[in-house]
Amino acid sequence: MKVLVHAHDAPNTFLSKYIISYDHKVIAKQFLWLGMVFLAIGGLMAMLIRWTLANPGVPMPFFGHLLFPNSGGVVPPDSYAMLFTEHGTIMIFWAITPILIGAFGNLLIPLQIGARDMIFPTLNMLSFHFTFVSGVIMLLALCTPLGGAAGGWTAYPTLSLNLGSPGAGQTLWAIAIFLFGISSTMGAINYITTVICLRAPGMGYFDMPLAVWGLLLTAILNAIFVPVLGAGGLLLVFDRVFETQYFLAGAAATSGTGDPILFQHVFWIFGHPEVYILILPAWGIVSDLLSFFSRKPAFGYKATALSMCAITVLSTLVYGHHMFTTQMSPLLTQSFMTLTMTISIPSAIFFANWLGTLYKGSIRFTSPMLFSLGVVFVFGLGGLTGLYLGTTTTDFYLHDTYFVVGHFHYTMAASVFLAGFGAIYFWWPKMYGTMLNERLAKAHFWATILPLNGVFMGMMMMGYAGMHRRLYNPFIYDFLKKLIPMNNFVTTCAILMGFAQIFFITNLIWTYFKGEQASDNPWEVGTLEWTTPSPVPHYNFKSIPIVKCGPHELGNPKLTTGRDFQYQTEELVEV
Amino acid sequence: MGFKLLVSLLHVGQVSAGMFSDFITMLTPPEDISTYGHKIMFLFNYITVMNVFYFTLVCIGLFGFSYLYSAKRNKTPEYTYGNRKKQLKVTLIIGLAVFCTVDSVITVTANNDLVNTFWKFPESDDPETIKVQVLAQQWMWHFRLAGNDKVFNTDDDIVTANHLHLPIGKKIVFQLTSKDVIHSFFLPNARVKIDAMPGRISRIWVEFTKSGDFEIACAEMCGTHHYLMKAKMTLYDPDDFQYWESEAAKFAYQENDTGTVDSYWGWKWESNR
Repeated sequence: MKVLVHAHDAPNTFLSKYIISYDHKVIAKQFLWLGMVFLAIGGLMAMLIRWTLANPGVPMPFFGHLLFPNSGGVVPPDSYAMLFTEHGTIMIFWAITPILIGAFGNLLIPLQIGARDMIFPTLNMLSFHFTFVSGVIMLLALCTPLGGAAGGWTAYPTLSLNLGSPGAGQTLWAIAIFLFGISSTMGAINYITTVICLRAPGMGYFDMPLAVWGLLLTAILNAIFVPVLGAGGLLLVFDRVFETQYFLAGAAATSGTGDPILFQHVFWIFGHPEVYILILPAWGIVSDLLSFFSRKPAFGYKATALSMCAITVLSTLVYGHHMFTTQMSPLLTQSFMTLTMTISIPSAIFFANWLGTLYKGSIRFTSPMLFSLGVVFVFGLGGLTGLYLGTTTTDFYLHDTYFVVGHFHYTMAASVFLAGFGAIYFWWPKMYGTMLNERLAKAHFWATILPLNGVFMGMMMMGYAGMHRRLYNPFIYDFLKKLIPMNNFVTTCAILMGFAQIFFITNLIWTYFKGEQASDNPWEVGTLEWTTPSPVPHYNFKSIPIVKCGPHELGNPKLTTGRDFQYQTEELVEV
Repeated sequence: MGFKLLVSLLHVGQVSAGMFSDFITMLTPPEDISTYGHKIMFLFNYITVMNVFYFTLVCIGLFGFSYLYSAKRNKTPEYTYGNRKKQLKVTLIIGLAVFCTVDSVITVTANNDLVNTFWKFPESDDPETIKVQVLAQQWMWHFRLAGNDKVFNTDDDIVTANHLHLPIGKKIVFQLTSKDVIHSFFLPNARVKIDAMPGRISRIWVEFTKSGDFEIACAEMCGTHHYLMKAKMTLYDPDDFQYWESEAAKFAYQENDTGTVDSYWGWKWESNR
């Protein structure tokens, strides 16, 4: 099939380089920086939340008086609700999504499949602009007279309707989510089409790096389910602005036809696949990195790719486990519980393949590898603790407690960001042509992963002890008073983890001024992006590469080139 | 010298053992005072055992292989994709092991518990059953007992706010709804919670085994003062409860403002399916 690619000039001017660019590499960088800014904002919000939980009613040092002058530096209860709402929303939609899917999707898909750009560069550019605008709207909502959205990131009606949250904040939240949905859908269509149409000659689906597999499956889920979220957000806006009553029930409902549980169904039909939307690129990247730095082919490449497909399909069938306490029909409850359990099987195969890749390898502990090993550990914990919540009876106790908070932070935050950092350290040379400092990167890893486990393990323990979520002051309850020391511990760990990110920022600054020039292939791996110079030139490849072998050809003893790996453009050396 | 060291070591041991037991106490869930809470805890513990087992395997692989096959110790990696037969074996063994020890056990046990316990509501016309209607609102709980005539939403209903009085040793059925936003009726001491939703009636039953004062929490974010939505639950021995009920019934007519429509928020008791 012959596909015409939109032609555009190399990004030279300020405008085409930083603002309006069709170039997938520039858009990737735009997404990366946007994501990092929002990550910082969301992270600082987390610090405020943690401070309040450990010291309710105590003024926050340094920032307190600046941010909350009217309450003498204490985070007030309504601001607290806004903080946890915005923390969740920002981290999921404007930090993880831009970094993992926006930045690395854009960077890796064309480079790793041997294409010169995305298939729809204009759509790609618009996708970034929509994300940017939606993120700005989300932040501006905080400046409206009654403040930003405060109904939790799940925005359950009727709390998220005018009845529960008057003011423009919640409306702007829903509009921002809708715009974000448009952006994600555009990106998803672009990714899917690019992978299908622009693979270099010779590259079958099972010759693609697993990162591309992860991104492709993510894009498919995005294309199917983000529009559902958009619909839910739009109906929320209708209810709030035009006074329809899709989700309104109770004393305030006059028509009597609305149902708040309808929104929960709409939200979680999207919301559960969303978890996999966020984790699949991370899985793909980690599967690749584990193989690259073990210097041997990925164990069970096909089984890994197929397990990812199986999980993608299953992820669409289990959303009801978020709603066990709403008393769905028994049949639904039982089906959703059973289907949820089946996810453990492909996940287990996944883990076996990861460990199989490490087995008898020759492991180089570079910083991207450390982060990947961290993901295996952290996602193991996060995945296994999901069993408690997928089981209906234990969920009766643990639902809406800190156990849930710890669990989803392990899966969605810890593993995704660790994989994201690993990817940043790994592909930085292809983006900017310089190497990030390895020593600082390793310090960053250890300083992050130790307190990270303190935070999220601590949260799960508190949840087991009965502490429920979204409490401004949990110690109102007598049975939670004993958890004050635990909350202090978790907060201390969280602050340590926050400070650990200084290593990362220092690294970026140091590399900007003093970073050494990267060679074309500093990590010695054979996927297509490493056949190009660092940083990658405009249009990536001088001539479209012809692919002759798989992505993980490392450690072949018959190689005579003096390297221990093969480029994908080289004829496979048979053993 | 050696003796002194031993004593000080013992002392350190004692202190840290004390700290450990304090730690365990801190992380123990609130006392279980229901007839079925142990079923939830059993399943929790079963999953924990399985998780520890499988996570240990992952850690052995992760740390063990990282140690054994670091580039320093193992210069030449084994070049293999894992052949098809081996692959199939690994996949089958792992899939089956997980399915048999985790998935099927958990699903079957949880399903049995649901069908035989949590969803097995006592008969509606059983006179021994105590029926309670709960109305949640921002940010308080209203409770309604049927009173002498055993009919809800009449003048003699015993209505209380943020304080629930119940007997032990009897099955109690709650029907819940909400006036405004979604709340969640959380009984930490019975290990269960159920959402109270506007426009719907949800049901839950429980039987308590220990008298005393306990707490009821709202577990679903319901607005700024969500954290203040706490109610007290006093559990009596059956005789004491009867006394409390008869005393409360005397004041029921006085306390229910019969002139206000708002005080008739109750509904006709719905049969339990």
